[in-house]
Amino acid sequence: MSHNIPNDLKYTSDHEWAKIENNIATIGITDFAQNALGDIVFVELPQVGTTLDKGATFGVVESIKSVSDLYAPLDGEVIEVNSALESSPEDINQNPYESWIVKVQFNKPEQAQELLSADKYTEVVEAQ
Amino acid sequence: MKHTSLHADHLAMGAKMGPFAGWDMPLQYSGVKQEVLAVRQSAGMFDVSHMGEFWVKGPEAVRFVDQLITNDFMNAAIGKAVYSPLCREDGSVIDDLIAYKLGAEEVLICVNASNIEKDWNWIESKSNGFKIDLTDHSEQTSLIAVQGPKASEILKELNFDTAIETYATVRSDSAFGQTIIARTGYTGEDGFEVFCDHEQATQLWRALSGLNVVACGLAARDVLRLEACYPLYGHELSDEWTPLDAGLKWTVKLDKPDFIGKAALASYKPRWRLVKLVLERGIPRDGYGIKNSNGDIIGKVTSGSMSVVLGKGVALAMVDLANAPKSGETVSVVIRNQDYPALVVKDAFLKGGRA
Repeated sequence: MSHNIPNDLKYTSDHEWAKIENNIATIGITDFAQNALGDIVFVELPQVGTTLDKGATFGVVESIKSVSDLYAPLDGEVIEVNSALESSPEDINQNPYESWIVKVQFNKPEQAQELLSADKYTEVVEAQ
Repeated sequence: MKHTSLHADHLAMGAKMGPFAGWDMPLQYSGVKQEVLAVRQSAGMFDVSHMGEFWVKGPEAVRFVDQLITNDFMNAAIGKAVYSPLCREDGSVIDDLIAYKLGAEEVLICVNASNIEKDWNWIESKSNGFKIDLTDHSEQTSLIAVQGPKASEILKELNFDTAIETYATVRSDSAFGQTIIARTGYTGEDGFEVFCDHEQATQLWRALSGLNVVACGLAARDVLRLEACYPLYGHELSDEWTPLDAGLKWTVKLDKPDFIGKAALASYKPRWRLVKLVLERGIPRDGYGIKNSNGDIIGKVTSGSMSVVLGKGVALAMVDLANAPKSGETVSVVIRNQDYPALVVKDAFLKGGRA
């Protein structure tokens, strides 16, 4: 099955995408992730101001039958959350790359550079 | 991993497959929500061929099954199906099953896939001295459930005999030859289960698909049974406790002359009560703790999910009987260390497909 993996985004092997603009990362889950989860019915967001540690969980996405943690792609501080997802979590299924979950301010640009390119992430998806 | 006779069809239809009780089974096809709604509003079909089928035949078949299970089978009319727990002498639950009285000397028992070997060993060990012929027909039998308000008219189109009552069963001719059809299921909707051979199963599955019956996976099946508040072995039922702990007192007929477990169950004081919970926010999952208003843990969720029809989190939970909340009271479900309020309700989340 082919999946939508835009070239202008960065990715993690946990199936999150990040759009890097200066020192802000806008983060969501990929088309592959939303498809694997199925109908998303609940999103638990962190509070603005929360400090994220790379690899640690910062939120939860639930489908009817499953619970999936969200893992921070890099260290940083949550500066904005997409609270619209609390009332319409299904937006993630319909439009995973518009339905961002958090915006994170980071100060370790090397971590942003370590994120996967679209090509590398395609390899991750194809290996699944 | 074992395959049902429909495995290739599931793959061809793009089902998401996953392991269940040693079988590679379809978990979902088009999506859990769509599949649940199809069953509630029109019709869905399920491959449940992984389930076990045992035949009991002979002059003492009915008497044997009656003393084996806690519910009354002796007085069931020919052509009736009976749901029952299967218990040990100490009252603990080996499995739950449906026994189909196809004739005066002919009983079909359908058991959970995960318990086939355990059940078979138990039932065989209890068969000494009975004039019966006991066979495990699980490998040769396919089982397709067709569930939903349109199930009857759809199966009628395929020449099945659908003019039977709920919880009745009959040998039925069909477009695919003779099968056993029963008006039973696990969804809370009207519906049928068809026991047939593997060749018939493939033909029936493809014919149903051609009639736009929505293929449903085990995920939808679990949501449907939870919305209807049906217990599932390994969740509400277990080797660790009795049917009386799981709200199944109605299936334990202490006025029967005798059955395995009767003495223990007659004097048993339940430790648990099964309660039904509805959450306005948050989704309860298996194993989450339940707190009372004092903040004490009184039990845990045995089955939890988002209800597709209610659009709310729902759960069955086992709580300490001594501290059991009453209907209308509010408890908390502990979700990731946060307390979410949950209303204790009396009735099943859905009756006849309606909230």
